[in-house]
Amino acid sequence: MITLVRVDNRLIHGQVVEAWLPHLKVSRVVVADDEAASSPLIRAAMALAVQSAIEVQILPLSQVDFAALSKDGVRTLVLLRDVASVPFAYAHGLNLGELNLGNVHFGTGRRQVSPSVFLAEAELRTLQQLAEQGVRVEARAVPAEKPVELPDLSERWVKAG
Amino acid sequence: MVGLVVASHGRLAEELVSTAEQIVGKLPAVATCNIEPGTPVEDLRAKMKQAVSRVDTGDGVIILADLFGGTPCKESLMMCQRMNLEVLAGVNLPMLLKANSLRSEQMTLPEMANQLASYGQRNITCASALLREAQQQPRT
Repeated sequence: MITLVRVDNRLIHGQVVEAWLPHLKVSRVVVADDEAASSPLIRAAMALAVQSAIEVQILPLSQVDFAALSKDGVRTLVLLRDVASVPFAYAHGLNLGELNLGNVHFGTGRRQVSPSVFLAEAELRTLQQLAEQGVRVEARAVPAEKPVELPDLSERWVKAG
Repeated sequence: MVGLVVASHGRLAEELVSTAEQIVGKLPAVATCNIEPGTPVEDLRAKMKQAVSRVDTGDGVIILADLFGGTPCKESLMMCQRMNLEVLAGVNLPMLLKANSLRSEQMTLPEMANQLASYGQRNITCASALLREAQQQPRT
């Protein structure tokens, strides 16, 4: 079962290892990312950060069987690098009612909507379309932080313009 | 809840706590205490006492000092004779993160302090050597 889907441009890193994994009590982490999957070095370094009791899969986005992950009984955290990957996952068997935005870093044309999330206009639209399909979108870097929901994120995005 | 005090020379204590909070979020019942060049020992002693009493909820306090034999560590040791207090020296970030999460588990203060000392040591690794091993036996 998929416990959480998180968008985080750092994929597996300190916040994930130290805060989310103990909080979610997952037994599997799936990184769905072409770039990470293509590098044995990145794969080894990221897997190294996760205690050996937790299974780590690092696969190209198109090779992840989201439907199978949703069906079995293994609590799973799915990590995606960016918002652009999210619709593909939902179109290929991912059916989770919520989406967590962790770190989406600053870049040209992006506006800050939370301390750790900067969104481009196309990304905001993508998220709004997901919300229309019933997905609860929140920005929250660590579990203890107060989540900011999509209506507030949208409002902040407009104000930041 | 066991209280935590990070005690250091310079700005290490504050920065360690703020770095830990960047990683896991706000840390409850944590205080810092530092000694700057030229601080009289009496001032540090008063600051340490204040820090300890700020985070002591009745379950005791663990002081994480930066350096064994340094002033923050020595002053902490003077206090632990009279209070429900354990002192660790050589604080590092993994230790502080673990100290925060261990507080939700049932154990005595000395047990917790001992676990933290060995956890801190275990988390000092030659990461590049571990990576070389991992590349020979891939997990993913």
